Amino acid sequence: MSDTAATLTQDRQKLEMAALSAPAVIFTVGMIAFPVVYTIWLGFQTFSSTGKQSFAGLANYSKLVADYEFWHGLWVTIALYVLSLALQLLFGVWLALVLFHAKRLPGVVRSLFISPFMMPPVVAGMMWLVILDPSLGAANYILQALGLPPSDWLASPTWVIPTVALIDSWQWTPYVALIVLGGLQSLPPSVYEAAQIDGASPFKTFQRITLPLLLPTIVTAAILRSVDLLRFFDIIYITTQGGPGNASNTLNIYGFRVGFEFFNIGYASALMLTLTAIVFGAVLAFNRLRGAVAW
Amino acid sequence: MSDAANTDRWIRWLNTVQLVLAGLLIMAPTVWMVLSSFKPSFEVTAYPPTLVFSPTLENYVELTRTTPFLSYALNSLIVTLGSTALGLLFGIPAAFAVSWTRISWPAILTLAARMAPGTLFLLPWYVMFRQIGMIGSYTALILSHAVITLPIVIWVLLPSFDGIPRSVFEAAQVDGCSVTRILWRIALPLVASGVAVSAILAFVFSWNYFLFALVLSNGDTKTLIAAAFNFIGEGSTQWGALMAAATLIALPPLVLAALVQRWLVSGLTLGAVKG
Repeated sequence: MSDTAATLTQDRQKLEMAALSAPAVIFTVGMIAFPVVYTIWLGFQTFSSTGKQSFAGLANYSKLVADYEFWHGLWVTIALYVLSLALQLLFGVWLALVLFHAKRLPGVVRSLFISPFMMPPVVAGMMWLVILDPSLGAANYILQALGLPPSDWLASPTWVIPTVALIDSWQWTPYVALIVLGGLQSLPPSVYEAAQIDGASPFKTFQRITLPLLLPTIVTAAILRSVDLLRFFDIIYITTQGGPGNASNTLNIYGFRVGFEFFNIGYASALMLTLTAIVFGAVLAFNRLRGAVAW
Repeated sequence: MSDAANTDRWIRWLNTVQLVLAGLLIMAPTVWMVLSSFKPSFEVTAYPPTLVFSPTLENYVELTRTTPFLSYALNSLIVTLGSTALGLLFGIPAAFAVSWTRISWPAILTLAARMAPGTLFLLPWYVMFRQIGMIGSYTALILSHAVITLPIVIWVLLPSFDGIPRSVFEAAQVDGCSVTRILWRIALPLVASGVAVSAILAFVFSWNYFLFALVLSNGDTKTLIAAAFNFIGEGSTQWGALMAAATLIALPPLVLAALVQRWLVSGLTLGAVKG
């Protein structure tokens, strides 16, 4: 084949490749990239009660800095995030170890373990709403049967965040567990054998060998959960809508309500861009951490 | 019996106990939901709660009688199937091109949708769709849900395409096959199982998605998930119907997920973990 013919085929090939990705790229630009740029522009606009919009400069952002509800929402978002992530990583690693030592997992058991995070979060919210009902729910009945005091759960300003964290952890701990299980199964067995020969206790083996080797997988699970937890929406919106009062008003819930209940699209855009920056910041930080614990 | 064997048995027993405990914690709420949906209305709110009862379908009958449950279900099906089809149509060729050329920015661009809060897109969409009068249309709903399905399809298929040896393509090229022909005739049949997994995951996540339909649908196009409020609003006397609705909404994703459970986790991490 001559050189010109070769470049001709290569050019043709490049063109064909571009044509293959074109629909996805055009769609993504139209539905994601352009709307995000548009949101940035909307963040500089104000909308009057009649829907008339005008340029407002940084007014939305200076409003944000002075807005008590924003800082409260940020606090709720972070509290819910830290609590949920800690619960899910802790119990996820525990569950992964239990599954790992069970050796053979029948498909039925696996299906059972994935069922919480494959069902809609909205459904999880609906079922827990009934279970956690303060007066007629099964949860308080069990607590009382065990001699423990009942709780108001989602109806209590103090307990609503831990309760939502509990519901989300019920849904996503098995997911974290299955990711960590994948990490466990890919570890070389030779390291355990060496530890065993050296007479290390099971706890020491876990602390000194398994856990450090597993850290990259755990950080990956943490990234995947962070992305969802920082933009927490579904379960809260279906169970408390940010309440009682504003006790579970996360930034995403607050931004949604500002935008679609009060129709202040400009301010909602500023709120959402800030939240997006927080999510991307967390992902970048975790990515650096993953680099630090890689082996 | 030796000490070591004794310890071994003890540890295995302890592990089984923990496994059963975890299984109970995971299963109990779902089982309670399903049981409640079959309880006679006076027993759903019984206190103390009852475990033994004579099952009835009255809640399901009540649900379809008092709410347009079936038309919501049809809306959900239209939006979910439409967005899954669109995700596959755009995602399959894109994943193939990314895998072949190693130019990954189109794939990374779609990931933005996986990371940013949905409201970030919903605000401009709302303004745009309102201007062209598309709020409440199936088209707007399908397009918005395709933002969920497209990254799933691309990132589940990428490793599958990567797994095909280059020599297969090169041989076809020498025979004068065009790239498009190679994709449809050679590559696609080789990754058929990956396509199935990506289609099911896309279906599940589109079906489960709440936020977009909350704003972009209207009374006629409301999906099941967005209509969940209509079922909750009726107070604690309607718990039976509420749990019947929850059970029915959860059924399609759970059945589909069980079919592909073996490949599910590596698919769900969008390539971050090989499971």
